[in-house]
Amino acid sequence: MQSNAAMEYDYSIVKLYMWTTVIFGIVGMLVGVIIASQLAWPQLNYWLGEYGTFSRLRPIHTNVVVYGFMISGIFVGFYYSAQRVLKVSIGESKFLMTLGYLQFFLYLIAASGLVISEGMGITTSKEYAQMEWPLDILIVVIWVLWGMIMFGLIGMRREKALYISMWYYVATFLGVAMLYLFNNMEIPTQLLSGGLGAWYHSVSMYAGTNDAMVQWWWGHNAVAFVFTVPIIALIYYYLPKESGQAVYSYKLSLLSFWGLMFIYLWAGGHHLLWSTVPDWVQTMGSIFSVVLILPSWGSAINMLLTMKGEWNQLTDNPLIKFMVLASTFYMLSTLEGPIQAVKSVNAIAHFTDWIPGHVHDGVLGWVAFMVFATLMHSAPRVFKREIYSKSLLEAQFWIQTVAVVLYFTSMWIAGITQGMMWRAVDEYGNLMYSFIDTVNVLHPYWVIRAVGGTLYFIGLLMFAWNFFMTATAGRKLETEPQFRSPMA
Amino acid sequence: MFHWLEKNPFFFAVGVFLTIAFAGAVTILPHFNKSAQPVKGLKPYSVLELAGRHVYIKDNCLSCHSQLIRPFKAETDRYGQYSLSGEYAYDRPFLWGSRRIGPDLHRVGNYRTPDWHANHMWEPTSVVPGSVMPAYKHQFTNIADTETAYAEAVTVKTAFGVPYGDDIQPGRAAYEKVLKSKVLPEALKIATQMKNKDLIARVKAGKIPEVVALTAYLERLK
Amino acid sequence: MSMDQLSIYLYVIGSGITVVVFYSYIVYLYRSEKRGEKDYEKYGRIAIDDEIDSTPVETVSDPANKNKE
Repeated sequence: MQSNAAMEYDYSIVKLYMWTTVIFGIVGMLVGVIIASQLAWPQLNYWLGEYGTFSRLRPIHTNVVVYGFMISGIFVGFYYSAQRVLKVSIGESKFLMTLGYLQFFLYLIAASGLVISEGMGITTSKEYAQMEWPLDILIVVIWVLWGMIMFGLIGMRREKALYISMWYYVATFLGVAMLYLFNNMEIPTQLLSGGLGAWYHSVSMYAGTNDAMVQWWWGHNAVAFVFTVPIIALIYYYLPKESGQAVYSYKLSLLSFWGLMFIYLWAGGHHLLWSTVPDWVQTMGSIFSVVLILPSWGSAINMLLTMKGEWNQLTDNPLIKFMVLASTFYMLSTLEGPIQAVKSVNAIAHFTDWIPGHVHDGVLGWVAFMVFATLMHSAPRVFKREIYSKSLLEAQFWIQTVAVVLYFTSMWIAGITQGMMWRAVDEYGNLMYSFIDTVNVLHPYWVIRAVGGTLYFIGLLMFAWNFFMTATAGRKLETEPQFRSPMA
Repeated sequence: MFHWLEKNPFFFAVGVFLTIAFAGAVTILPHFNKSAQPVKGLKPYSVLELAGRHVYIKDNCLSCHSQLIRPFKAETDRYGQYSLSGEYAYDRPFLWGSRRIGPDLHRVGNYRTPDWHANHMWEPTSVVPGSVMPAYKHQFTNIADTETAYAEAVTVKTAFGVPYGDDIQPGRAAYEKVLKSKVLPEALKIATQMKNKDLIARVKAGKIPEVVALTAYLERLK
Repeated sequence: MSMDQLSIYLYVIGSGITVVVFYSYIVYLYRSEKRGEKDYEKYGRIAIDDEIDSTPVETVSDPANKNKE
């Protein structure tokens, strides 16, 4: 079979997305380190005029890591694993290959357009949906292309049953499509004004409280369908494949999938507790956030039990380390989230550093670790070379683990400290602290956070070097490794 | 039953979609009308205020400032009356923010003055020692885009029935007229209160610096 | 009936149905496997045995599988 070119999995699109993952990862996290340092040392705001201030850079950081690094990593995982679990090569269809290349180049344009427009301050201001209408349209096209490729591959498949990862890819596609369209309903202002003003400017179709509800319905579910659902798709493929152990329970994965699909969307209201949205929406958001622990932990426990009897792999395979720690962080952040969604806790936690702390133990510990494992497991198969350095991978793992711990512990303390200080009153019932007191007290925690971020970034650079060397200078492999990825 | 779905991708996709969409259909759609009603006496943003709002969005003030006072004593003591849904009826988009690195601004117009803002935006630590906010000196030279703000006013008036006066009409001639008769005088008033000769001179020359528009917007938040 | 009431009814009925369907599904899954009618865990092999020339767990075009459904 090996001689037949059509009967090999085609990884040419995987390769392209691998490089964007690495590059956007470096850019996005570098900006992250810069803005973390700006809070600790405000003088750093002035290195690039109006384009270098914290407020302009923060959305660049979030958008580049989410839509650059994560989405690229997810597409690596998709183009790699979807072919394999469906047992069909994308190379068997010229049409799908063309769509794949087209999707990648449109994606490059959209991602660069996003960075440039954010830098210039052209934004709708909605978090994770900052793109103005021209970019929105481009993103819809990219997404539709992805859907065509996904269902095209499914239509050509040899394996009748869709594997667990495919369910999660399909859900990612549908969930993001629905939420994105609803949240970005906007009218370009040139249309009705007789051609006045900036061509790219638009105004939201929703106002005030409605806009907030739709936005956090999206914002929360961007977390669901970008940080969670597709990453679960990755781990359901890569952990069993790397360890050689079939998933612990297929039935449990079925249950947690449908449970997650049903419950996740209800929880959006927990971003708006104590705001002006209707009380019962807030209460539903709170309750369902707690219920959400069940399907989340269902997946995570399923992953950990997959390693049953094979825990020795944890000690000698760094990729298993990355994935097991990722599921552990997934458990941590899916427990932390519901705690923050309890109304009385939220009263203290909301608007404080505990929230970015929560996001980062999820994304640094869970998403990014999973993306690293995805790239490193795929690399030997894609480039037909051994992983360049095992010790580098080990060192990266430990440095980044320490970094995440520094990051979230400092943010927890900072968040709770500030939340308590805002509401502290003296014996006569007067507020004890002016606002600036509650900011200045955070300085040491912001320093620790910046150090944690820098360590994580150093780990990322080690990864990038390791990956680059694997692709160009790793020892050549004669046959494709079956389970465990070979590394020097 | 469910397992049959995994072998039939089309029905699988339909099933997933319905499951996902259910929560949204129940929680979001029914409240759309009610939450959108303005409180009594709420006026739409003037063109200058809208231009200031665009500066607020452009420099992404909402990275660090919320506009949502929650119904706790500690918050109402610090910022004033808690926020009501109807107060946001003309906010497109909403600007509640998600992190308070700086204080809430929903009623900042009650306790700050234009010249305080002028000093603060030029050098925050001059009025708030220890502030971590960057200085926004470029707002003193960049010119606010009142034309886009006007276009937005026309759009929301036409599309959503926001109650603007008869002078807000499509077309450049109508815009020039509003600019001369309303926007520039309003800006001059703010610039005069900001006590900055340079700003006053620019407004008199027909160019409104971003910081003047932004201050007009912040003054409006009450 | 106001939209508020409608959404509350919709919610209560919808959640009730979901809970019933979900739990009967769990029972169904485990029972049918206990009786030996179905083997779900074999699908876990899809990810392990994923070479392009390896035999699928169930082939799309195989009529034998259609009868099994």
